[in-house]
Amino acid sequence: MSQTKRTEPSRLRLSVLGIVAVALFASLFARLYDLQIVGSPEFQLQAEANRVRTVHIEAPRGRILDRNGTVLVDNRVAVVVAINRSEFEDLSRGERGQLLERLAVELTRAGRPMSATEIRERLQDERYSRYAPVPIAQDVPESLKIYLDEHAEEFPSVTAERTAVREYPYGQLAAHILGYVGQINEEELTYVQAVHGDDAPKPYTRNDHIGKAGVERTYEQYLRGTPGERRIEVDAEGNPVRVIDERLPQPGDDLVLSIDIDIQAEAELRLRQGMEEARRRGAASDGTPFDPNAGAVVVEDPRNGQVLALASYPTYDPRQFVDGIDQQEWAYLNDPANHYPLNAIAIQGQYAPGSTFKLFTGYAGAMAGVRGIDDIYNDGGSYTIPGCTGLKCTRFNAGGNAYGPVDLRRAITVSSDAYFYSLGAEFWIQRQRFGGDEAMQRWLTPWGLGSETGIALTGEASGRVPTPQWRRDYCEAVQCGDPLWRAGDNVNMAIGQGDVLVTPLQLANGYATFANGGTRYVPQIALRVQDHDTGETVVSIEPEVAGRVEIPGELRQALLDGLAGVPRPGGTAAGAFAGFPLDQFPIAGKTGTAQVDGKADTAVFSAFGPIDDPRFQISVVIEEAGFGGTSSAPVARSLFDALAGFRPLPEAPLGGDLVLPSEPLSTAGAYD
Amino acid sequence: MADFAPDYDPSRRTYWPLFRLSPEPRTRRREANLFGKRTPAAWKHVDLLVVLCAGAISALGALMILSSTRGTDPDAYDTTYLSRQVLYIGMGVVAMVLVTLVDYRRLRDFAWVPYVIAVILLALVISPVGTERRGAQAWFQIGSFQLQPAELAKVITIFALASLLTRFQVPMAARYVGLGLAVLALPVALILAQPDLGTTLVFVAIAMGMLLVGGVKMRHIIVLTAAGLIAVVGVLDSDLLEDYQRDRLTVFLDQDTSLREETWNLNQSKIAVGSGGMMGKGLFEGTQTRLGIVPEQHTDFIFTALAEELGFAGSATLLGLFAVLCLRIWRTAQIAGDRLGTLICAGVLSMFVFQIFQNVGMTVGIMPITGIPLPFMSYGGSSVIASWVAVGLVLNVHMRRFG
Repeated sequence: MSQTKRTEPSRLRLSVLGIVAVALFASLFARLYDLQIVGSPEFQLQAEANRVRTVHIEAPRGRILDRNGTVLVDNRVAVVVAINRSEFEDLSRGERGQLLERLAVELTRAGRPMSATEIRERLQDERYSRYAPVPIAQDVPESLKIYLDEHAEEFPSVTAERTAVREYPYGQLAAHILGYVGQINEEELTYVQAVHGDDAPKPYTRNDHIGKAGVERTYEQYLRGTPGERRIEVDAEGNPVRVIDERLPQPGDDLVLSIDIDIQAEAELRLRQGMEEARRRGAASDGTPFDPNAGAVVVEDPRNGQVLALASYPTYDPRQFVDGIDQQEWAYLNDPANHYPLNAIAIQGQYAPGSTFKLFTGYAGAMAGVRGIDDIYNDGGSYTIPGCTGLKCTRFNAGGNAYGPVDLRRAITVSSDAYFYSLGAEFWIQRQRFGGDEAMQRWLTPWGLGSETGIALTGEASGRVPTPQWRRDYCEAVQCGDPLWRAGDNVNMAIGQGDVLVTPLQLANGYATFANGGTRYVPQIALRVQDHDTGETVVSIEPEVAGRVEIPGELRQALLDGLAGVPRPGGTAAGAFAGFPLDQFPIAGKTGTAQVDGKADTAVFSAFGPIDDPRFQISVVIEEAGFGGTSSAPVARSLFDALAGFRPLPEAPLGGDLVLPSEPLSTAGAYD
Repeated sequence: MADFAPDYDPSRRTYWPLFRLSPEPRTRRREANLFGKRTPAAWKHVDLLVVLCAGAISALGALMILSSTRGTDPDAYDTTYLSRQVLYIGMGVVAMVLVTLVDYRRLRDFAWVPYVIAVILLALVISPVGTERRGAQAWFQIGSFQLQPAELAKVITIFALASLLTRFQVPMAARYVGLGLAVLALPVALILAQPDLGTTLVFVAIAMGMLLVGGVKMRHIIVLTAAGLIAVVGVLDSDLLEDYQRDRLTVFLDQDTSLREETWNLNQSKIAVGSGGMMGKGLFEGTQTRLGIVPEQHTDFIFTALAEELGFAGSATLLGLFAVLCLRIWRTAQIAGDRLGTLICAGVLSMFVFQIFQNVGMTVGIMPITGIPLPFMSYGGSSVIASWVAVGLVLNVHMRRFG
């Protein structure tokens, strides 16, 4: 029975089997140690990622208020019809088809026409999260929600939830300032992720809304709420099992604008009235018809650069964007025949300033020493450029009047073109003496001409102060007749014609700079950011100085005297200001009538008051409307009436529907 | 007297394949019979440690099956799988007791009976009578139960091969080796036809272990190993396997690069094991387990549930239990009363070691994915009962080692 007698080969071979077994067990232990002890942290992260899905909950945006606290953009509860994708996919193919048909019928009946195919396309859109319902129709009537809730068993996977959407108590008013929001697009998403990175305090996901234009866009970081987050545990198929935790969304902060909605409404109303009256005037004396399709009014406080009103026409209705703008509406807004209503003329329209530019060229002439304040020029009604041999060597005053001997003051008041023609020509002819090729331009740019004002709105244009260098570059890029800058170009620029361009806001800001004695502010559109609930100021937005213009007292007084004469008898805006109590509320301004090839003139007017302590700077630009003194000055005068308190400033109408008054603006015209 | 003398006298010229019920030359002093007087003595030598290990592993398995199948609804946990598995374990224990009742040496001459039944069942299962699941025609559907004959065929073949090999003189002549291989080849061919490559590999492991211990010449073993490797390469290279089967086998070779579904499954398995860490996430707290992320978790991948919820501590304990079990089987092979006992234990040992290594190895990415159950742990009646029967055979050998 002794086991020692076992044959050796068998015993040895059994040992081999044992050793193999030990080796295999040892390798398992080693591998387990490797996975469970050494590699564990990494695997734990992966297990967590397997288990948890994060659902992002968008927060309501902050409101937008005017300077007096009137709510301009609010949030409203709207019903969103959505389909829960995972529940939808659990239905059979036939059930799905029927469901979509039924839903399409109900949506159409509720006034939101949609086809089953359109709904299906939405459902298949990869941009929507798998763990949040896919929105099918936004802002549907409450009655549809009630119907869907009552017939829930007929509409499996369909939800009708209340959500916050933008509401505009004043409708179209201030549309270009407020802007609109929309679903974030790929480009914007890439941009915000590049700027803020992944650990942004207010991260965006694909379904989120973002400001697309106006202050909605420029103050996005404050208006946007902090999104909430719901962490959901999911099983292997990705079906939700339970909610792990939830962080509630925090609404965004409110934005208080420098805009006064009453002034804004009045500015928009009077702009529209001015355009309407210009149209009714028919045609200019040369037969060119008036066709005022676009215009802008800027009301700015020269003391701090705050913009009180910024009216642009044509305009659009931001309410169109609330439930997602449709193709037809979008096409309308982008059709050239409708003059691009989305563009804010006040900051994006660029116009030759005409005679309103003479304030700046008069300043340039005096500062460069081309012509002293009191130097007399004999205006014979025309000016011939010395040494000129081509066409248009002799330029005539607008209207052909001869004003006789004029100094700077009178040249501005009566808008003597010959005075400024000769000034511009001398600048060029004696440029070696006055500072080279850009002798005149270097006295113009400090006013903010030729560059963006920096207002916190989107799409601002820079205008243009042309130079000989610019002309060479421009002619290189685009084939143009004459790459050489000549005296005639200076002559043109001196009266705000030729290649010089300004935006209505630039014009207003230049005049405001003059009005306050030379401080050029960045036009301010927002005053502060305040807490949504408490109203406490979160961020205070202070006036920002963009630059200073040196204006010697004597020169300022001369220019001011010249401008002050404009609305008075004998000035170019005398008719518009007939009956205005200038002794109580003295106004300084300048009319402008800019020629545009093949079209009626652009009517321009820019003025501020009261002269001693200017509080309001108003600029009015209307396309294809003829004389500035006839078409634009009355708009400004009407606004001055209300702002100065000579007539009550009406409250802005809720809903934003402007009713043109029956009594006309002051329409007496004058030449400039 | 030497109790390892050949039981078979070649001069008698009785060939085992004829399954002749010849009276063996009895060299024992006392006859053992079914309920004979030797039985009480034998019970004194039962290896309790083996039974305890197998029982502990079964209990752990049942617990992990509950964890991986009870679902996510706290109001209605599913205990169907648990109660089934407890039933299987009970049936397995009864089968084990039955196997130990009769002296294995008396059963030797009847080894052909279960073998023939197993071969018939394996032939039937690939006929329309059998049921296909996951690409393999390997099950009989009996009511709500499934019988997988290949599982039981493993143990039956071990016993048949052992009883055959003991009839040959050591060292074995090539023709006897061929005879042994033929006994193996019949069930293997039928299983390969299902196709079930995993169980085929278990048979290869059993054959290697038993031929090694059974006294086959070293050079024969080397030739057979080489032939086996060539055959594996040949099978992988041929059209015998479906693409997904080949994928499962080869995915562990390029775990980090491939994006196939098999890689995903393997990664989820590794994540479950790895995320368990030292102490695990706690019973019923494993997220990969609770949320059903690891595929086939209550059957082939049951180890991942344990590793995730009980951590390295739990998986090391399980491997420790398996190691003790295997050590006792190995010890029994050493101290067995005769060559037949040694060979039975060598076969069972080879089967268990290979299945443990293969099954755990595939969950941690060091072995190909094949549908081999983890003995005692994996859900499934055939596998559980076969494992307990194997333990019964070992116990039988152990308790009768003195006579």
